[in-house]
Amino acid sequence: MIEIDNVTKFFREGFFGIRKNAVENLSLLIEKGKVTGFFGPNGAGKSTTIKMIVGLIRPSSGVIKVNGYDSGDFRSRIGLGYLPENPSFPRGLKGIEIINYYGKLLNVKVAKNEIHEALKISGIFYAKDTYTHKYSKGMTQRLALAISILGNPEILIFDEPLSGLDPVGRKEFKDIIYKLKDKGKTIFFSSHILADSKELCDKISLLVKGKLIKNSSLADIEKEAEENKPVQAEYSTPLEEYLYDLMLRNKTEN
Amino acid sequence: MKNILYTILYSFKEIKNSKIFYFFLIFALILISGSYFVSQISFINEGRIMVDFSIFSITIFNVFIGIFIGSSVIYDDIEKKSIFLSITRPVKRVDYLLGRVFGLAVAVVFSTIIMMIIFYGVLLLMHKFVIPARPGAHFSILLLPQPVIIQAVFIIVESVFISAVSILFSLITSKALASILSILIFFIGNTSSKMNALVRPVRGIINGKLQIIHRPNHVLAAIVHFIYAVLPNFSVFNVSTQAAYKVFLSGRMISNAIVYGISYIVVILIIASLIFLRKDLS
Repeated sequence: MIEIDNVTKFFREGFFGIRKNAVENLSLLIEKGKVTGFFGPNGAGKSTTIKMIVGLIRPSSGVIKVNGYDSGDFRSRIGLGYLPENPSFPRGLKGIEIINYYGKLLNVKVAKNEIHEALKISGIFYAKDTYTHKYSKGMTQRLALAISILGNPEILIFDEPLSGLDPVGRKEFKDIIYKLKDKGKTIFFSSHILADSKELCDKISLLVKGKLIKNSSLADIEKEAEENKPVQAEYSTPLEEYLYDLMLRNKTEN
Repeated sequence: MKNILYTILYSFKEIKNSKIFYFFLIFALILISGSYFVSQISFINEGRIMVDFSIFSITIFNVFIGIFIGSSVIYDDIEKKSIFLSITRPVKRVDYLLGRVFGLAVAVVFSTIIMMIIFYGVLLLMHKFVIPARPGAHFSILLLPQPVIIQAVFIIVESVFISAVSILFSLITSKALASILSILIFFIGNTSSKMNALVRPVRGIINGKLQIIHRPNHVLAAIVHFIYAVLPNFSVFNVSTQAAYKVFLSGRMISNAIVYGISYIVVILIIASLIFLRKDLS
């Protein structure tokens, strides 16, 4: 379980170091065994929130607890898998060498067949002996996914997992997330593609300009969407239409 | 501890396969192999010239490896976001940093050993400067003199030292600036002791008494003394003159230089760790 309690993150910008809030008073509970979709337009603060959860950046105020540990504590990352947006690897190493290294960092014994299994699930087993600087974007994404699911983590955090993938890759990625969902994993993923929402999520959180606008179960939001059907017809389902409208309104209101 | 070891191995593999590492290594090997031709300009002692030239090549290219790879080893990890997958494992940031630093140190040791083997080979081939392990015996292995071996150890300490400086700078500034600052530190560190000697008052005997005959500008002297006291003094690692003349180095002198280098490295790594712990990796 991940608890985000009244978290604010600001950055200093420009010559005079003007404060700019990336995330503002965010409180969110990511429940165990559920798939939570974290939506919002570009620059909403989704990646910043995820980076705070996985300990890459520190909140300016507030507390984030992962499995009972503060997100800055390395123990909070035991049983946590993370797939960053646009992952990359150093030059001069093969896929298998890289995944072996990350497997060793888990502090638990990871058998060779487990590594092969993760590579097979991610669909990159065939390129395990290829140098990663020769990988395409999709292949790099798949290797990063294999690394994130290595060691059977209970919590999986994916930052824009479908960005940059072709339609086949997107379908395969979604199937992997479905399989992980069936295994009862806690999945938290960010996206700005609304079409991903209904298919994968149990719960939807909507972030606009660093503020949490919505945080409800899929059924509740769908109900709301039916009731408040917006007039535009940009998207195919009322839910997508409703989320788009919420983003648009909050963007212009602020 | 295990995580540090795994990161050392990973970093070493990564550096070993990098183009910049091979570029410096091959260039140094060409210079060492060519030291024989350079020595032909001397009519006194060809072996001495070969040793001097080769030690200079080994030093400068190991320092380049330390500076240029040091300034990019963590900086590129952050820039290219490859650090995201490492730091989000159950790993302490300090362990990761130490693993990267020591991985580079292992690469420096590796390159120094290769350069020294080639250097030894060239000397053996030319039958110059090497000394028999058992003088007077019918058959004896030919070895490098003690000061040459100690110089190799000092090159390793010096290169790891400048790598740590470069990594520290890369955590607070850009890669290019970190390299420039490290080169400056290396240059100042090699000349500060000479500069410090130059700004000392000049004494001479006048009317049978020892008197100060020239006193340099106070401000200039204070600045040079300050630089000498605060910045590292790399000249303690330079024993190339002793190596070229086969002057035996005392254990005390060797241990003092090594302890001096290691102490500085430890202090730099503590500062780098404190910065890295607070750094937002975005």
